[in-house]
Amino acid sequence: MAAAAAFFGRVGAYAYFVGDFVVAVRRHGVPWRLVLQEAYSIGVRSLPILLIIAGFVGTNLALQGYFAFKPLGGSRLVGMFVSLAGVRELAPIIAAAMVAAKAGTEMASQIGVMRIREQIDALEVMAVNPMAWIIAPRLVGIMLVLPALTVISTFMMVGAGLLVSVVQLGVPGEIFLELASQGISAPDFLYGQVKALIFGLIICTVSCYFGFTCERGPEGVGKATNQAVVTSAVICVVLNYFLSEVFYGGAH
Amino acid sequence: MSAPPPTAPAPAAPPLPTAAPAASAPLLSMAPMADNLAAIGRFGVFAGQVAARALRRPFFWGPLLAHTWVTSVRCLLPVVAVTTPFGMVIALEGLEIFGLFGAQRMLSSLVSVAVLRELSPVLASVLIAAQGGSSCAAELGAMRIKEEIDATEVMAVDGIQLHVVPRVLALTIACPMLNVVGSFSGLAGGWFTAVVLKGEKSGIFMANLWALATPMDVWGGAIKTTVFGAVIGLIAAYHGYYATGGAAGVGRAVNDTVVHSVLVFITFNYLLTSALFAGATP
Amino acid sequence: MLQNTISDGVLHVADPEPAPPPPLIRLRGLTKSFGPNTVLNNVSFDIPEGRTTAIIGPSGTGKSVMLKHIVGLIRPDAGEVLCFGTDMARAPEPALYAARRRMGMLFQDGALFDSFTVGENVAFPLVHHAPQMSEDERRAKVNEKLALVGLPGTYERATASLSGGQRKRVGLARAIIMEPEIVLFDEPNSGLDPITSDAIDQLICDMKQALGVTFVVITHDIVGTVRVADYIAMLYRGDLIAWGPTAEVLRAEHPVLRAFLQRNLILPPAGGSGDARLPAVQ
Repeated sequence: MAAAAAFFGRVGAYAYFVGDFVVAVRRHGVPWRLVLQEAYSIGVRSLPILLIIAGFVGTNLALQGYFAFKPLGGSRLVGMFVSLAGVRELAPIIAAAMVAAKAGTEMASQIGVMRIREQIDALEVMAVNPMAWIIAPRLVGIMLVLPALTVISTFMMVGAGLLVSVVQLGVPGEIFLELASQGISAPDFLYGQVKALIFGLIICTVSCYFGFTCERGPEGVGKATNQAVVTSAVICVVLNYFLSEVFYGGAH
Repeated sequence: MSAPPPTAPAPAAPPLPTAAPAASAPLLSMAPMADNLAAIGRFGVFAGQVAARALRRPFFWGPLLAHTWVTSVRCLLPVVAVTTPFGMVIALEGLEIFGLFGAQRMLSSLVSVAVLRELSPVLASVLIAAQGGSSCAAELGAMRIKEEIDATEVMAVDGIQLHVVPRVLALTIACPMLNVVGSFSGLAGGWFTAVVLKGEKSGIFMANLWALATPMDVWGGAIKTTVFGAVIGLIAAYHGYYATGGAAGVGRAVNDTVVHSVLVFITFNYLLTSALFAGATP
Repeated sequence: MLQNTISDGVLHVADPEPAPPPPLIRLRGLTKSFGPNTVLNNVSFDIPEGRTTAIIGPSGTGKSVMLKHIVGLIRPDAGEVLCFGTDMARAPEPALYAARRRMGMLFQDGALFDSFTVGENVAFPLVHHAPQMSEDERRAKVNEKLALVGLPGTYERATASLSGGQRKRVGLARAIIMEPEIVLFDEPNSGLDPITSDAIDQLICDMKQALGVTFVVITHDIVGTVRVADYIAMLYRGDLIAWGPTAEVLRAEHPVLRAFLQRNLILPPAGGSGDARLPAVQ
């Protein structure tokens, strides 16, 4: 019971934190000149690892799809499987997971260090709202960058799936691409972007929350970083199911 | 009224040449590559040291059991919380694809193959990297910064043997166990979506569950996750054990652990999937 | 102007004023607990305008917590903190920020932003609160304050390259950049060697003369405190056990107070008169 109480206490504290943040931004605005810098650092530093991972996810999707449909005589459907799974599900969630792992942990550890070295208190004392100054540019930055990263990782995934299908599995490229484009439609991309925006919101606020509530000492920073990545990944995956259910569940 | 000050303010240090701000390195440059190669070499040496000490007495059973228990418990909830929705999503999208051929009854075969071969091993490993690996790096990093590891060495106890080996082994043991849990919760998620939400027949779902999956899928997942558990443990311990630079260094160690282990293991996963399953499929 | 001096191992403490100037900060019934620990227990006293007040006491007696109440970083369980007539315990954010713009605070380790240069750190409050100021004016003002703290010509220096004493000086320059009416110091001597520590005390004495603003210093460094302080408040286990002009506090009879001060000073007889002396070693 104590664990459940602690859990709901944290959920409440997080909600309160987000409420405070909204009030702070309404009152103090967004420091726009920091946004570009944050967007650059989130996007560019997450990009290489995201490309590698999206590539390997694409190859595995192709392998799995091929083996699953082969007994049904549908091994040529692999293109549709890759594009459907990639565009709708995996590209948004993989991009979000990697941004949580790379940029989210960085946010939590940077802000945690600022907290324990009293820099956040110093901002308060200098009458600069730390929430508006620290979180707002990161939030706007991640919301700008994550949809773009999602699109990039979609192309990487489908491209890698195509490569494996043609080279390793012997599926003709034209058929792969034809079925890949049949499998999806324009709204699928749009929904992927909506997912990316929501995931960005979650990753940034959760990571910043753990950074702001960091406990003293080196363990505190480690713990905050750890909790930030796990919590934001879990929330994103769970939300992903509900978003998919809303976007795709009833349509067919 | 005031006597001359007994101490003059210390003379100001001459301005040093300002260190160039750590601007992001150009995307294509040889220097980071050389650094990375050197880091891989150091990692190899560290892994060798850990392996050598794992086989040498004394063996710290108490810490091993404690770390295994703590890691498993800590990672359990995240693994379940992530594999279940993923199983549900697979069922959701799978129904649509199988609907094209009117073969919805084959859904559970796809779900079981996907969950057992890929989803559960991959997600269990990613979450163990994110939760177990990163807290291992955080603990070791904090111990390094607070000089606890130096203190261990000064007391003539091998730091790697006492602090690192049990943690690495604990992750190696916990990862396949959590994979089993993840497999069950992934299949349960798929069943829930197909049967409860979408009205497929439970009997058909269960009957076709093993149509495509083979014992090799289960063993393959177990082998993969054991290897990944060890790799995650070594990467986390390496970053934590050699953390420098105060609290910020601990944060950096945790970040590097998550990123590097996910990177390494997604790469290996492709190779292992090709090797383990390509031949085994009918 | 009151001024305490040290010469020939004797600490000459200025005679108390007939009456303290009107208070700028008033603490009334301040009470704060963290869980079962009562850190501040119904503390009330005034901090007079234009004077230096030291808050002393052993570690863990709520000195830093009191300072954080004065700047409104912590809200008390009961009682009020009036700065310039604003109740920092209850004021809404705009009023709180308006009051804070009239204060400056030096944090224990400076709390500087390592990604900025020294000059950018000092300029930070100006950038936010005086955006109409031109770049040249701002630079001139920052250089003036850096010179005042004994670090001229360090505008472009990387913050990460500063020593502990230099960080405090830069933190002090940042605290006074907005020409505040109150400057608060959190342990200005902690973690410094005796020479640097003396230099910081001297800096405080010099600035007291030059700026004529209200200083609040939290410390457990007795000699430094007695040198800079016009008024002393002593906290012990959450209670205020002494408050008054320095000369009177040195002669007070409270046993804990005397034990605390006698670690570093040879005190005048209780209730008597005369100057305190430094131990012979110095």
